[in-house]
Amino acid sequence: MSHEPLPGAEAPLQVEGEPVARGVSLPAQEAAGRSPGSHAALLEVEDLLVTYRGVPAVAGISLSVRSGEIVGLIGPNGAGKSSALNAISGDVRAASGSVRFAGHDITRLPPYRRARRGMARTSQTARVFEGLTVFEGLMTVARGAEGASLTRTVVRRGQRADEKETAEMVWELLDHHSFAHIANLYGRELSGGQRRFVDLAMALIRAPELLLLDEPMVGVAPALLPSLMEELQRVARAGVGILMVEHALDVVAALCDRVIVMAAGSIIAEGTYQEIAEDVEVRRAYLS
Amino acid sequence: MQAFVSISLVYLGIYALSAWSLNLQYGYAGIINFGWIVFQAIGAYIAGVTALGTSSGSFQTYILGARLPFPLPLLMGTLAGGVLALVLGALILTRRIRPDFQAVILLVVSIIAAQVVIATPSIFDGSNGLSNIPKPFNGALHLSDQGYQWFYVGWMAVLCIIVFAGLQWLCRTSWGRALKAVREDETLAAYSGINVPLLRVVVFVIGGAIAGFSGALLAEFLGTWSPDAWNFVETFVVFVAVYVGGRGNHVGALLGAFLVPVVFGVMPSFLPEFGYPGLSANLEWIVIALLWLVTFYLRPAGILPERRYVAKRGGASSSASMRPTTPSPAPPTMDEPRTAS
Amino acid sequence: MSLYLEAVGFGVVAAASIAIGAMGFTLQFGLTNVLNIGYGSIMSLGGLVAYACHAAGMSIWLGLAIGGLSASAMTLLVAKTILSVFARRGAGLFEMAMITFGVSLIIEYGIASATQNNTYSLFLAVEHAMTLGPFHFTKVQLVLVGLAIAVFVVLDLFLRLTKLGLALRATAIDPDLARASGIQTNRIVTAAWLMSGFLCGLAGGVFTINILTVNAFTGDTLLSLVIVSALLGTAGSVRGAVLAALVIGIATQVASVAGASGYDSAVAYGFLALVLLARPKTLQGELVTDKAQITV
Repeated sequence: MSHEPLPGAEAPLQVEGEPVARGVSLPAQEAAGRSPGSHAALLEVEDLLVTYRGVPAVAGISLSVRSGEIVGLIGPNGAGKSSALNAISGDVRAASGSVRFAGHDITRLPPYRRARRGMARTSQTARVFEGLTVFEGLMTVARGAEGASLTRTVVRRGQRADEKETAEMVWELLDHHSFAHIANLYGRELSGGQRRFVDLAMALIRAPELLLLDEPMVGVAPALLPSLMEELQRVARAGVGILMVEHALDVVAALCDRVIVMAAGSIIAEGTYQEIAEDVEVRRAYLS
Repeated sequence: MQAFVSISLVYLGIYALSAWSLNLQYGYAGIINFGWIVFQAIGAYIAGVTALGTSSGSFQTYILGARLPFPLPLLMGTLAGGVLALVLGALILTRRIRPDFQAVILLVVSIIAAQVVIATPSIFDGSNGLSNIPKPFNGALHLSDQGYQWFYVGWMAVLCIIVFAGLQWLCRTSWGRALKAVREDETLAAYSGINVPLLRVVVFVIGGAIAGFSGALLAEFLGTWSPDAWNFVETFVVFVAVYVGGRGNHVGALLGAFLVPVVFGVMPSFLPEFGYPGLSANLEWIVIALLWLVTFYLRPAGILPERRYVAKRGGASSSASMRPTTPSPAPPTMDEPRTAS
Repeated sequence: MSLYLEAVGFGVVAAASIAIGAMGFTLQFGLTNVLNIGYGSIMSLGGLVAYACHAAGMSIWLGLAIGGLSASAMTLLVAKTILSVFARRGAGLFEMAMITFGVSLIIEYGIASATQNNTYSLFLAVEHAMTLGPFHFTKVQLVLVGLAIAVFVVLDLFLRLTKLGLALRATAIDPDLARASGIQTNRIVTAAWLMSGFLCGLAGGVFTINILTVNAFTGDTLLSLVIVSALLGTAGSVRGAVLAALVIGIATQVASVAGASGYDSAVAYGFLALVLLARPKTLQGELVTDKAQITV
């Protein structure tokens, strides 16, 4: 078996030592005292089938993600990775199969209901609210459904306190990552890297239990990759399960506890990065 | 001369309410209510029939007659606008339809409504419409026609201030912010747990109620209401008002209400007739359409655009105009270095 | 019963103008993705020019052609001076539709001002109706139907067999890919505007000949049926548009015989609302596009 790296993954990135425990992005998680790496299956996908106009994009796959686990989902272009992610987040309706989250069947639920149960995701294109400031966007997301409820707003019970508390949390998040200076910029005024940060911040600020990431490293300066990866590791250590679609194999090698390889809509390999890197099927899929 | 000022002011109030209603739905929440006029119309009709009493024995035919005292007809008109918005909103806003299709669907609703009303006189007296609608307080105060108009100006001013204050407050809450989020990116808003269709229907209903309110007030001022008063193109005029004045800014909407329907609509009706009868009305539409194209080209955000929410620590905040702020020197950016691409 | 059969006959004739209009509309819409509400005003223009030519002594058929040509020129003018300007600035789908609405107002009320709000009556030579089985047609009506059929055949062959036609279809399906393959999309779009504009004016003229009156707002009622047919036939499909036009034409005529005629256009508009509401659907596995592409 050859030990040559897969195309695109030269020496895996070194993540320095044990990162210093950082700030406060996940107050709820930490307060709940969730022990990292608890082995409850957080996400269970079974026989997921997604079709576009009759053609299967995801041809009946099954996978699972546990709390505190970082799972990478890789594969050549057109393998169906994003479609699978979209079906898990609810953006796309599955033709058949099931998605279970924290023990509940959420297959038929629309995205906002899944979000309320503790699922969060980022977008391939680093979506932000173009016409809202970064601060407004984070506030909206952090307050979520409660902030959008007319009855609660009109009745005013605890509104001011909630707003103040959430605002403090948002400022802490921004300060912690040295992004306070972009707080009052509109989404459309942000640079590419700033958009990536905001997209991820919006996913994290709700203290989710499951984080779905769609190519989170695209467009990020190589110098800052380590700190971004440290952040994700810290999030995972706090008990969040992460499913990450990613093309940069060095990132996947450094970050993921487990890697799932898809090609042509099916899973062709699953295991640690080392294991799948040596898999004949995987090499064939990437090189063909 | 007095009539010119007083009538213009009353219409300013009516169009201000109209523009605020549409601004809430479209400027803040991004709902393209291209059939807006039908909500004003139903408010006017319901206010009319609930003040006129039953239709038997009258020369007019209509449904739902009642002789309710002030201010009930006004409230009924407002309610009617809200209920119609609830029905249409549930049917149309709860699906994902491309925005231009959604606009045309609502436009078509307003067209069909007009045709059905005209073709079925038993509903609201067809093309004749309702007349002799009682004017509020007219019996109590014994004013001349002109005096009553001035009274109505004051009455409208009070109501407008209340509605304006209410809307400004509402749009500054977290709910108002959620509206803007849904307008900007409904998918992203859904990712944070917001029930987007529900939020849209709620906004639609509030806007519809305000539209109905404006219709009721107008019907009570004019004393009559017929299909001539609610041509589907009127919606376009209110849209232009909001676009020209400033979307997402209620003060801008007020400015737009003055500049577009009042300056170009109401005021010219006082000019002496020129050309053939109907020429000035035709030219009015052309001018408003040109105004829309020019403004949208030169200043797409309007004269008074939505103000940037500037957050400060410790809870204080302020608003600033839309000029982009240059950020202070920042730590190394997260971007990839710009190599030749 | 014979009343209904006659209505079917009328329906076929009515379908002629709807079909021609729908073919033109689908050409535009399939390519540019803009819901052009100004299409109706240009149909009025086509009808009025045809009328004016006839009133000036020309044959009505020549008038039709000239109406088509004027409509073609007007369409290109509007597209290049107004629509492409705003499309380039990133106007969204709704804003483009609203722009076309504004254009429609300017054209229709401009025409109305120029014609002093007059409605004109077309006087053609009185003819005897010929009998074809249970149907009665005048020669003129048969020519109109024949014209629609001819237009369909020519357009269908053009789209399938000529280089320009294929390039048009390719650009409609995927403009970026077309451009990357070397297709000069700018020229394609210009050709599409010219052709669809001609059909638009022709449709207005045919409609005028059918109902024998015309004014600045004639195109409005026809527009709703045209859009219904174009959308029912799926954007870009000429055959679908014609078939839908036939169905709609017959349906509306039969309906107006069956029910009170005051609701004629309300029914037509009702169709439109239903068609728009029903598509496009979010199908299984498909995301509804948030930002659709406008090629102008």
